[in-house]
Amino acid sequence: MRKRIGFFICHCGINIAGTVDVSKVSEELSKYPGVIHSEDYIYMCSDPGQSRMIEAIKEKKLDKVVIACCSPTLHETTFRNAAKVAGINSFQCEIANVREQCSWVHKDMKKATTKAIKISKAAIERARLNESLEPISVPVTRRALVIGGGISGIQSALDLANSGYEVILVERSPSIGGHMIQLSETFPTLDCSQCIMTPKMVEVSKHPKIKLLTYSEIQEVAGYIGNFKVKILKKPTYVNPDKCTLCDECTKVCPVAVPNEFELGLTRRRAIYIPFPQAIPATYTLDINNCPGLFPIACGKCADVCEPGAIDFDMKPEILEEEVGSIIVSTGYDLYGKEEMAEYGYGKYEDVLDGLQFERLLSASGPTMGKILRPSDHKEPKEVVFIQCVGSRDPELHCAYCSKICCMYTAKHAMLYKHHVYDGQPYVFYIDIRSGGKDYEEFVQRAIEEDGVIYLRGKVSKIFQEGDKIKVWGVDTLSGKDIEIDADMVVLAMAMRPSEGASELAKKLKIALDKDGFLAEAHPKLRPVESLTSGMFLAGAAQAPKDIPEAVAQASGAAVKAVNILSQDRLYHSPTIATVNLTLCTGCGMCVDVCAYEAIKLEEGKAVVNEVLCEGCGTCSATCLRAAIKVKNVTPLQVHEMIKVALGG
Amino acid sequence: MVKPDDIKKECKSILEEGKVKYIVGYKRNNNSYMSIPAFIEKIEETDQLIWDPTCVYNLVRFIRDEKLRKERHKNPDTRPIGVIVKGCDSRAINVLLQEKFIKREDVYIIGVACEKSGVIEKKKLRKKFNEKNIKQIEFGKDNNFIIATEKGKTTISAEEILAERCIECNNNTPVIYDVLLGEKVERSLSEHFRSLEKFESISTEEKWNFWKKELDKCIRCYACRSVCPMCYCDECVADSISLAVKPDTTAEEKAQKIRWVEKSPVSSENFSYHLIRALHLAGRCIDCGECERVCPVDIPLRYLNKKMEKEASEQFGYTAGLDPEKPALVSDFKDDDPQDFII
Repeated sequence: MRKRIGFFICHCGINIAGTVDVSKVSEELSKYPGVIHSEDYIYMCSDPGQSRMIEAIKEKKLDKVVIACCSPTLHETTFRNAAKVAGINSFQCEIANVREQCSWVHKDMKKATTKAIKISKAAIERARLNESLEPISVPVTRRALVIGGGISGIQSALDLANSGYEVILVERSPSIGGHMIQLSETFPTLDCSQCIMTPKMVEVSKHPKIKLLTYSEIQEVAGYIGNFKVKILKKPTYVNPDKCTLCDECTKVCPVAVPNEFELGLTRRRAIYIPFPQAIPATYTLDINNCPGLFPIACGKCADVCEPGAIDFDMKPEILEEEVGSIIVSTGYDLYGKEEMAEYGYGKYEDVLDGLQFERLLSASGPTMGKILRPSDHKEPKEVVFIQCVGSRDPELHCAYCSKICCMYTAKHAMLYKHHVYDGQPYVFYIDIRSGGKDYEEFVQRAIEEDGVIYLRGKVSKIFQEGDKIKVWGVDTLSGKDIEIDADMVVLAMAMRPSEGASELAKKLKIALDKDGFLAEAHPKLRPVESLTSGMFLAGAAQAPKDIPEAVAQASGAAVKAVNILSQDRLYHSPTIATVNLTLCTGCGMCVDVCAYEAIKLEEGKAVVNEVLCEGCGTCSATCLRAAIKVKNVTPLQVHEMIKVALGG
Repeated sequence: MVKPDDIKKECKSILEEGKVKYIVGYKRNNNSYMSIPAFIEKIEETDQLIWDPTCVYNLVRFIRDEKLRKERHKNPDTRPIGVIVKGCDSRAINVLLQEKFIKREDVYIIGVACEKSGVIEKKKLRKKFNEKNIKQIEFGKDNNFIIATEKGKTTISAEEILAERCIECNNNTPVIYDVLLGEKVERSLSEHFRSLEKFESISTEEKWNFWKKELDKCIRCYACRSVCPMCYCDECVADSISLAVKPDTTAEEKAQKIRWVEKSPVSSENFSYHLIRALHLAGRCIDCGECERVCPVDIPLRYLNKKMEKEASEQFGYTAGLDPEKPALVSDFKDDDPQDFII
């Protein structure tokens, strides 16, 4: 049957019409076989533009339409919905991209017009062979998984649970709280971090809708949006939290002492330990990697002294299988490693600390009970040098990106130091101060003006120990003078980087990473909390360095995105999926290997596509040597016809 | 070097035990010094089997024919067939296993190690001898060939008439086998991709002229495709004439048949055909050289495939047919794969 095709070309103001003679394209296409309606309009995506298309479809009984306009990623949905309103199948509406792929990249009007005509004709050839398709619908599992129990993960989990959805919160360390619980006071209001964090942690632990799995890791993720199947490894803590009374007798007898992770190595902990007093869940964990041994039991003293009998050496790792409809990833950050920062003496000199270690020194619950003392000799440092951009903004050697929070926390550190040590002198070496944020600039100015922090614009060239002082050589580029400071302590504002293991987790989740290893968002501006894998969302510093308010805001955003899915009865999936020509398929399985969505399986020696998992990316089609697998509405025949018309005339 | 008697003895015992339906090997062509493929079904026929430098053919091709025969048969004899393979041929079996075209139990692999030698290249032989006079070629000692003519025997250094692919070969021992004859000997007579050097040094224009001249000769007889152990598709994408119609072929599939390549043997279509073939053999070609051997117009097809092999090896560290359990070249990627070819 002869198709009745309508063609519309958009001026997009002068975005297209400035380089492409749109009326000529429209005229040329009106002569093309099958085209019975052709027009140009200033903004096709506007309401009147869409109405013109709808009217034309109704009046002239069009059964296919081609819109020459911007990229299909922008307005394909708009026009397909309009086509549906007009009474034709939405897949009978095809986009010819004459803006991004033509007018924007060319200057010569004549040539650009010729190209626009070819692009339009090719789209018509494709449309001619388009099948009418209906979206595939799938049910939704109305539960969510949140990976990472820092402030972002906690916020997402609470928002979801308060919306009435069940949440599984997985945290790999023995307690939730993340890095925020390690901080002393938070900028710019200087409220105590633990005081504002612990209520949220308690809320998580008491919430009837939240299932908290600490000391647990994601092992495997299968399935698709609305229907993920997750395997979670729950590592044994060897302590029964229900029996444990937190009497602390076990740590007194434990013979092992290892660096305390929570205190960033400033103190030591036992092999059986509670990370910090307010830990959630409030229980001890036996660190099997540092315990003298359980198989066979080499020491067993902790179990001997445990009166309630909470210590259970027979505890086994468990693998829990959970079904969820949506996943939020908030795996957070780590500070740039010691090993990379040898030039600043970090890891070599005891009194060169990183930002988080200094937070612990400032913290009222820290190893020094809030007194600022040098780790080497426990004396109060009288001159402290803070260095910003350590590892950040250094594309040659370290990270090219700005870690964003260091300007603010360094100002806070210097200010709090001054509050503790009245006669001390803090110095800050900086490249420039980035204090964008509510009340942030005022905060930095307060540090400089009221607390007398000396800001030196320049980099530090060398740090070395001389006697009990740490010599800092640097330059003040504003005065042009070389600076030499005999410091008692140096604090490095280390770059933030994705937390350890984030890339392995991303692989399991099939979430893309950006060039720096942070989780990649779907669109830098318009989809900042979504990952490219549908149904998975990002929150907090796992996506990029950010401060607490931003992390919390993103976490709430991610929770709403998850609610978008969980609140649906059914989800609809694009029907442009791969189909297999069974005659040609030899069952070699190459498509199975290349499919990023694990949508293809071999059954009885032939490839079979799971229509819900398939995203229609076409990688299988490109790999198949026998052209036995093709994507609906992008079939080899359509591509062939498009090439033919693009090459001809 | 493996002696023909060893092969005869081994095949005899395999047939006696009834392990295989028949054995594909090599026998003497009655009126030539060359070997031809032999299909040995009976024990007494094993005496026909030979092993000499003229055993050039890749007999893996016959596994495909056997598979098709089995599919057509109502009650097929499901016993495996025995195949005599050289190092290169054995890798072809691995590729077929990797692509799940055959099952391991379909074949009984009699591997024969080339040790320090290999097979002849007729083109080289013709330059040195009058073919008509040659009666027989045998493996001699110390990597020599003994050429018997009416006038008597001549000993010649193997490298003078050894196939180029054998000189470059570094997989001279079968990598998969049920029984291995001969010894595993490490050897490489020259650099692995030596023959490509002259092509890589010339300009794009010279390359174009060379291939234009060569491919213009193609008469599209498809002998290269017919002999290739990897060309087992029912329907070839590079061929607009044949259409595989099976009981489950739908009308839509018939209607959607595309002519990517026209059948006329003109420059553009010949280029398309050979380039599609080369790309479809990337990571699959095991350099048995059969396509080039059978080409009636002497197109140096091996260079196209060898170049793909080199790219696969240098860019991705991949060699075809080493491990049937690993994913194929085009269906695998690593995070650190080179990306400099992306413009």
